[in-house]
Amino acid sequence: MSEALSLFVPRSSGVHRLHPLTKLTITGFLLMAGLVLPGAWTTYALFGLVLLPLALWGQVWRELLRLSWRVALPFAVSVFLIQGFLWPKGTPLVYIGPLSLKSEGLMFAFTSTGRILIVVSSFIWFALTTRPDTLMTSLAQRGLPASLAYTIVATIQIVPRFQARAATIIDAQRSRGLETEGSMLRRAHAVVPLVVPLILSSLVDVEERALAIEARAFNRPGPKTSLAEIAEARWEPALRIAVLLATVIALAFRLWVEFRM
Amino acid sequence: MSRLRQDFTTLTWVTIPVAIAINIAVGQLIYTLKIPLYLDSIGTILVGVLAGPWAGALTGLLSNLIWGMTGLNVAYAPFAAVGAVIGLLAGLFSEAGWVRAWWKSIVAGLITGLIAAVISAPISAYVFGGVTGAGTDVVTAFFRSIGFGILPSSFAQGVSSDPLDKAISFLVVWLIVQALPMRFLARFPRAESVQK
Repeated sequence: MSEALSLFVPRSSGVHRLHPLTKLTITGFLLMAGLVLPGAWTTYALFGLVLLPLALWGQVWRELLRLSWRVALPFAVSVFLIQGFLWPKGTPLVYIGPLSLKSEGLMFAFTSTGRILIVVSSFIWFALTTRPDTLMTSLAQRGLPASLAYTIVATIQIVPRFQARAATIIDAQRSRGLETEGSMLRRAHAVVPLVVPLILSSLVDVEERALAIEARAFNRPGPKTSLAEIAEARWEPALRIAVLLATVIALAFRLWVEFRM
Repeated sequence: MSRLRQDFTTLTWVTIPVAIAINIAVGQLIYTLKIPLYLDSIGTILVGVLAGPWAGALTGLLSNLIWGMTGLNVAYAPFAAVGAVIGLLAGLFSEAGWVRAWWKSIVAGLITGLIAAVISAPISAYVFGGVTGAGTDVVTAFFRSIGFGILPSSFAQGVSSDPLDKAISFLVVWLIVQALPMRFLARFPRAESVQK
């Protein structure tokens, strides 16, 4: 339960020095292209030719591969088993007992796994190379309401504390004799004595925090100065526009393919 | 529009991060207990009930995005729209006075779960090939094996878990609202919809 909320790995790579918005645009492109471009191999090509080099450049390829594997594997196994074997009226390839592997199902599972891979690994690449607070600062500087930026940064800071509190409550209730193991019914009985104290205790300090940030001009309209300066290279705005353009082209291409049919 | 401004008070803005943290912490707690539920939208529902549908929708949306962006549960990010709808519905049901009685809260949860299943099915079918990578895939497998399409099978999987999950979540929120001190409750913009 002590897992930190941010995946961020500090490295002194070129990717880490990129402006957060640039990385956000690239992630957006990978997601959009991976989900809309036709062809079973497209997502794998995007992964191998775009995402992997980006991860190499960011010196996070080991973490990226390890995490993507861990997240995508259950989906991939499930989709291959379910859609591969249970595809109704498909062309059977191999028989295993009463079941048979269908070629249509395998093709579908292959395409789906590619999509899962690109979605999962794009997010992980972004998370590995971008600090959440820098991202929010940069978004706030581009006109995102300061209250919204506060909300996200605050969440990222609060969550580890909550996880610790949850662990404390589990320990406390266990020491009072609450059963958290055993049969399903017994474990289900433990839900309310664990969940309700966690939520109530966390709501207690909400009011105090509201007063504290109100006293620090949270509600004051107008621009706010930020302590952190976020640097960017001179070519980055142009790169962002190019990536955005590529995203639009990917979408347009899909629409063109759909309407031509 | 003015109602919207009234909903987003400083207290609301401060409650949203706490609510998202509740979603994450309770979700992980349930996961550790190995109970076949998620209970990862209690915070979202709570904000919807106490601060209105729009605040609830924002909480649900941000919750899923933060799950994805921080790498905590990357597979949740594509379902951000579902989180938003859950928060929105919680706000609307509360506005209609459904969170005043425990049994009405359960009904509200069942309906919310059904709608959540309807919206998640196409996302799950398109992005994840209709599977969740978890135990509920047994349901998907069953419906596929008797000849159902990918979308209907994925929907059946959702219906088998979401309504119960959201009904329990709404019930927990009802319990929380009962347990909160009146003085504290009254500071929230939508307190009037849960007070008797």
